[in-house]
Amino acid sequence: MSPEMKKEETVKLISAEGFEFVVDKQAAMVSQTIRNMLTSPGNFSETQLGEVTFPEISTPILEKICQYFYWHLQFASGKETEFHIEPEITLELMMAANYLHT
Amino acid sequence: MGGVCSRKRDNQVDEDGLRRGVSRKYGKSGSSKWPLFPLSRSSSSVSKEGSNKCPTLLELCARKICEDIKRYVSFSMLPRDISQQIFNELVDSHCLTEVSLEAFRDCALQDILIGEYPGLKDSWMGTISSQGESLLSLDVSGSDVTDIGLSLVKACTNLQTLTLDCCEQISDNGLDYLSGLSNLTCLSLKRNSAVTAEGMKAFSNLVNLVNLDLERCSGIHGGLIYLKGLKKLASLNIKCCNRISDMDMEPLSGLTNLEELHLSFNKVTDAGVAYLRGLSKLTLLNLEGCPITAACLEAISGLLGLLYLNVSRCCISDGGCENLARLVNLKRLNLGFNNITDACLAYLKGLVQLESLILDSCKVGDEGMASLKGLLLLRTLDLSDTEVGSAGLHHLSGLVNLENLNLAFTLVSDSGLRKLSGLSSLRSLNLDARQISDAGISSLTSLTGLTHLDLFGARVTDFGMNYFRRR
Repeated sequence: MSPEMKKEETVKLISAEGFEFVVDKQAAMVSQTIRNMLTSPGNFSETQLGEVTFPEISTPILEKICQYFYWHLQFASGKETEFHIEPEITLELMMAANYLHT
Repeated sequence: MGGVCSRKRDNQVDEDGLRRGVSRKYGKSGSSKWPLFPLSRSSSSVSKEGSNKCPTLLELCARKICEDIKRYVSFSMLPRDISQQIFNELVDSHCLTEVSLEAFRDCALQDILIGEYPGLKDSWMGTISSQGESLLSLDVSGSDVTDIGLSLVKACTNLQTLTLDCCEQISDNGLDYLSGLSNLTCLSLKRNSAVTAEGMKAFSNLVNLVNLDLERCSGIHGGLIYLKGLKKLASLNIKCCNRISDMDMEPLSGLTNLEELHLSFNKVTDAGVAYLRGLSKLTLLNLEGCPITAACLEAISGLLGLLYLNVSRCCISDGGCENLARLVNLKRLNLGFNNITDACLAYLKGLVQLESLILDSCKVGDEGMASLKGLLLLRTLDLSDTEVGSAGLHHLSGLVNLENLNLAFTLVSDSGLRKLSGLSSLRSLNLDARQISDAGISSLTSLTGLTHLDLFGARVTDFGMNYFRRR
C-alpha cells in the first residue's frame, strides 16, 4: 500500500490548541458534520487535505470525541460496552456533540 | 421572533394525543370484543428505539447529565436546543423534580410536556412560565395545578398547544387567564367537570384555535355559543359531555372549516343534526350513542366529503337509510347496535370505497351479505351478533382484501368456513361461536397470514388445533 493511499483512509482533526488527532476516515464520518465537510463537492480545504480544524473544541474534548467515534464503530459491530463520560466535561462535550451532529 | 416559528418539531405531539415518554392512562376506549375498530390509543404504546441502536454522543451526554443532575444549578447559559434535550431526557427518565426543574429557569424551552408527572403542582409553574415567549407547547395533564398556577401561563404568549386534561383543580376562573393566548392552535381540557359555559367565554378570543378537545366536560352545555367566531376550528371533540343537546348544535352551524366532529353520547337528536348540514368540509362525524333516527341521514347525506361516519348505538332503522347511498366517499361506517336489516344493506352497494364496516348486533342476515359483494376494498367487517350464517359467507368469498373478520355469535357453522379459504389477506378472525368444531377448523389451513384467531366459545379440541401445526 502506497503512503498516498494510506493518507486517504485517515483524517486529521485539529483542536483549538492545535493538537492533531489522526483517525480513520470511517470513524470520523460517524459525525454528520465531519462527513459533510469531507464529502462536500468542490475544493474545500477539508476535502483536499483531509484535515479539519475545530477552533472551538478543546483538546480533551476532541480526544473524547475521537474515543466515541471508535466506540460507535465497535457498538455497530456488536460489541456493546459502556461509554464512560467524566462529569466535569459532560456539558462541554454535549455542546461539541451538538455541533458535530454526533 | 422568527426563530420561534422555524423549529424542528420532531418527536412532538402526535395526532393521537400520544406524547413522548410519560404514559397515558386515561382516555382509553378498550373493549376486547372489537379489538380492531376503532383503533384506540392503547394499541400504540410508546416505543423506545430499538435496543441495539447505537446512542449518539448527544444522547449519552444528556443521560449522563441526568444521572448527575444534582451537580447542575442552572442550564440557562446553554443553547436552547441543548437545554431542551436535557430537559426531555430528564422527563423521559422520570427524574424531573421540582428542584431539578428549577435549573431550567429562563432556558427558553419550547416544549414542556409533563402530563401526569408525579408531584406536579402550582409551585412548578413559575419555572415553566419563565420560558416566556419561547414556550410553544405545554402539557400539565393530570396534575394538581390550580387556577393560580394556570394564571402564570399568561406570560407565555406564543403558546400554540396547551393540554390540561384531567386537571380537576382548574375551573372557569382559570380559563379566563387563557383568553390572551391568541396563538393557541390546540387546546385540550378533557374530563374537566368544573368548566361551565361561563368559563368558555374565554375561548371566544382564541381565534386561531384549530383543535379543541372538551371530551367528558360535563358542564359545558350552553357554552358552545362562544365558539361561534372560531372560524379556523377544524376539529372539535365534545364526546360524552352529557347535557349537550340540539340547542348546542346551532352555534356549530357556522364553523364551516370543521373537518372532525365528535358528538358521541350526547343528547343530540335529528333536529340538532340538521344544523350540521352546511359543514361541507367534514370528513369525520361521530354520533355514536346519540338518540338520532334514520331521518337525520338526509342532512348527513349532503356531507359528501365524509370519510368516517359512526352512528352506532343510535335509533337507526331501515327507512331513511337510502340516504347513505350518497356518501360514496365513505371509508369507515359504523352502524352497529341499530335496528337495521338486509334492506338497509342494499343501500350500501355503491359505497365501494368502504374499508371498514361494522354491523355488530344488527338484524342483518345471509341475504344482506349479497349487497356487500362488491365492496372489494373492505379490510374490516364486523358481523358479530348478527343472523349471518354459512350461506351468507358465500357472498363474502370474493372480498380478498379482508384482514379482520368478526363472526362471533353468528349462525356460521363448520360447513360455511370453507368459503373463507380464499381470503388470503385475513389476519384476524373471530369464530367465537358454539357450533364451530374441529371439522370447520380444517378449512382454515390455507389462511397463512392469520395472526389472531378467537375460538373462545367454539368446540375445538386438540385434534382440531393440529391443523395449525405447520403454520
